[in-house]
This record gives sequence, structure tokens and C-alpha cells, in this order.
Amino acid sequence: MIDHIRLRGIIIAYLFFCILLKSCTTPEENNINPPVSDSTILSHEKSGPVIDTVEIKGMMFQPVEVTVHKGDTIIWVNHDLFTHCVTEEKTKAWTSSKIESGATWKMVVENSADYFCAIHQVMKGKIVVE
Amino acid sequence: MKKVMKLIMAVVVCSSVVFGSVYAQTNPKLSDPEIASVAVVANQIDINYAKIAETRSKNADVLQFAQTMSNDHAAVIKQAVALVTKLGVTPKDNAVSQKLLSDAEKTKKVLLSKSAKSFDKAYIDNEVAYHKAVIGAIEGLLIPESQNAELKKLLQDIVPALKAHLAHAEMVQKMFLKK
Repeated sequence: MIDHIRLRGIIIAYLFFCILLKSCTTPEENNINPPVSDSTILSHEKSGPVIDTVEIKGMMFQPVEVTVHKGDTIIWVNHDLFTHCVTEEKTKAWTSSKIESGATWKMVVENSADYFCAIHQVMKGKIVVE
Repeated sequence: MKKVMKLIMAVVVCSSVVFGSVYAQTNPKLSDPEIASVAVVANQIDINYAKIAETRSKNADVLQFAQTMSNDHAAVIKQAVALVTKLGVTPKDNAVSQKLLSDAEKTKKVLLSKSAKSFDKAYIDNEVAYHKAVIGAIEGLLIPESQNAELKKLLQDIVPALKAHLAHAEMVQKMFLKK
């Protein structure tokens, strides 16, 4: 019985100590967020694959380089007057075939790649998988 | 060999002076209907050069480039025709478009006179010179003189394509220099 009372006393003292400690921190400390990297990863894991957009305009891929996670989707939107395509540059491992003016093409990204427009071969872009 | 070199130079010089000489000699003041005519003619000329390449060349890079020129310049003409139709403007023949056509006729003869072996380089050399001249004319003459905002914007919008064509032609040209 005495042990039980003593245990209750210890628990109450511990809780009191915790409350006291909490009240001693500044408001800013109370609002500290988790590190950005953890937050980003958590957000990505929660929301699943992300969709990124690359615009084709002025005979350029914009942005030229896009950084994604494996499994994300990239959509290319052709705003130019001209037909373009999106083709893996080194081995032609994948290609969109023709993307007509005003059309779009999307791909689920598995690997990093340098790509280009095989129709206008000076147009180049890059996918970086983190 | 000297004759071949002279012919190649003739093709290059012929194209590069087209716009420059017209501009320098006549200092033209072009109306919007005349600018529309020049734009359509300049694009059609490059389609015609591409058609020659498609019948004469066996080189995959040259054929791919020619196909791109044919498609892209046809797209520009289509857009220009849609715009002048919308604006109710009829393209008007003028000294610049006439000079372009007469000079293009001379270039066509030079290209057709080439042997199969020397055609590819002559065609690409001409494409480099022609695109440089067209870019210069659009930026230095057609855009500044166009009055209608939509016509001006169309001309501004096609400049990046012409510059990409030029870079593409120079890339193919370098392949011939390596050989």
C-alpha cells in the first residue's frame, strides 16, 4: 500500500516536472518544425508520385533540367508552332514519337537521362532522378 | 577542283547576299501586306530547297534536316496565311520578294548542277547562309517595319525556330568538315 502511494507520488512529481520544463521553453521553440528534409520526404511519401511539367516553347525545353523522384510523372507540353519529340539521347531507349503543336506527352520516370528533340537536334533537356 | 570550289562559293554567296543586297540597294519601306508576302516567299524558298535535297541526297542527316525544314516552314506559312486571312490582308508582291525568288532560282540551278557527291555539303552550306540572311532580315527589316502587332509577334515567334534551324545546319555542316 505504501509502495503504491509512493509510486503515485513519483508519477505526479514526474508529470509536474515535465509541465514545468515545457513552460520554460520560448514560444519559438514550441513552434520548431521538423527538419526540412524529413518534412519533404514525409510529404512525398504521403502524397505519392508527383507530376512535373516541362514546357516546350521558343524551341527550348523549359526547364532544361528537371529533378524528380523515381516513379514521378513528367508531362511535356508543346506550346510551339512546330512538331517536336522527346527522345532519350544516348541509346534512344525511349521516345515520345511526334508531339504535335498544342499536344502533350507524359512519362513515368525510372532513371536519370539526357534527352533531345530528334526533329530539332539542338534542343536538349535533362532528367535527374534523386 | 577550282571549278567545284567556285560553284560552292557561288551557292553560299548567292544566298547570303539576297536580303542584304535588296536592303542595301533599295532601302525598302515595306507595308504589312508586303511583309506578309516576303515572309511567305522566304519560307517557301526553303521548302523548295528541301525538296531538292529530298530527291538528290542519300545522307540520313541531310534528309532528316530537309524534312524538318519542309515541315517547319510549311507550319510558318500556314500560320501566316491564317493571320492575314484573319486580318483581311492580301500579301502584296514587292521588290524584296521578287529579288528573293530570282536569287532562289539561281541557287536552285547551282544546287541541281551538283554531283551526288558534292550536293550534300553545298545544300547544307546554303542552308547555313540562307538562315543567317533570313534571321538578319527578319530582325533588322521585317520586325521593325511591321505595323500590326499580331504580324510583328508572329515574326518574333519564328526567330527562335530559325536560330534552331541555323544551329542544326551548322551541326550537320561540321560533320562534313570532319570527313
